[in-house]
Amino acid sequence: MNHLTDELLNEYLDNELADSTQVETHLAECADCVGRLAAFQALFTELDSLPEVTLSKSLAAPFTRGSSLPPAALPRSLRLTVTLQAALAIIAIVFAAPFVMEFVSPYIVAVQMPSFTEIFFQGQSQWLAWLDTISQFQTPTMPEIPVVEMSSLVIALTLAGISMLWLVGNGLLLRNQKN
Amino acid sequence: MTAPTDRDLILRARRGASDAFGELVTRYQTSVFNVCYRMTNERREAEDLAQETFMRVYSRLDTFDIEREFGPWVRRAAANLCLNHLESQKVTAEFDEERDADESSQPEAAVETRERSEQIRAALASLPAQYRAVVELRHYQELSYDEIALELNIPLSDVKSHLFRARKLLAEKLK
Repeated sequence: MNHLTDELLNEYLDNELADSTQVETHLAECADCVGRLAAFQALFTELDSLPEVTLSKSLAAPFTRGSSLPPAALPRSLRLTVTLQAALAIIAIVFAAPFVMEFVSPYIVAVQMPSFTEIFFQGQSQWLAWLDTISQFQTPTMPEIPVVEMSSLVIALTLAGISMLWLVGNGLLLRNQKN
Repeated sequence: MTAPTDRDLILRARRGASDAFGELVTRYQTSVFNVCYRMTNERREAEDLAQETFMRVYSRLDTFDIEREFGPWVRRAAANLCLNHLESQKVTAEFDEERDADESSQPEAAVETRERSEQIRAALASLPAQYRAVVELRHYQELSYDEIALELNIPLSDVKSHLFRARKLLAEKLK
């Protein structure tokens, strides 16, 4: 009869065998292997029974309030989330600004626009013109859909997408802020 | 009032409250120290390594997955640190003076248990560093072979052979 190897007995005791049926069948009829298994088990028991020792001093002293340690860094995922949210906010402003301006312009006719806003508005107009160009490129297959409505849909979907990403980002941040 | 969870303390520590990390250290310092003590068999060295473990863990707190348990993570970090320490210098098994306390007032059974524990620690300390690490991770941190291979960045076959040889050596020394 071929006896079980020590390696196999080790793996058996460590519960690392995918199928232990053969080992158990052999052990049921081989006193020699059972003896060797018992010797390993005794060693395992001795190792596992090693008592814990106590510390002679506390290791928490360097971490007390007011210590000079630098704060632990935020996880990279959180730092990226904040950066992504800032980028999304800028994109949302770029998309929404023309509509906001259109909505509020009747009420601020008398107010002279600052030159920065004018420049910004022109930039947005060019951006929309570019988007319209893209829409016109896509519309030939659907000529019945007015170009301006296609453009609005794209913008609305983009804003909705950005809002969703923003909310997800907020959720991530809140999850890590929860105390 | 219930005590804050590990997760709460980690989140507070990440926001700059080092005293929250101090609370985590208080919770886990004994188990981390024992990892280092089993690996080095020298009390003062083990205390220094345990302290170093917490300093490193604090600086790498951003890499910790908040959904996992903190205790096993910090103990694995301690085992790795001790392994690197042992491999970086030729460490010989030293006699720990603080263990040589007066035993005359202790019951005989307690003295025997203590002596046997010392023999086991000495036997562990006599193993090569890599063997010590796999025994620590398998027997005291209860990692699987795959997890040990991942933790020590070694092949699965090495984990098996290191563990098997380590046990063989320990069995000979503890006869």
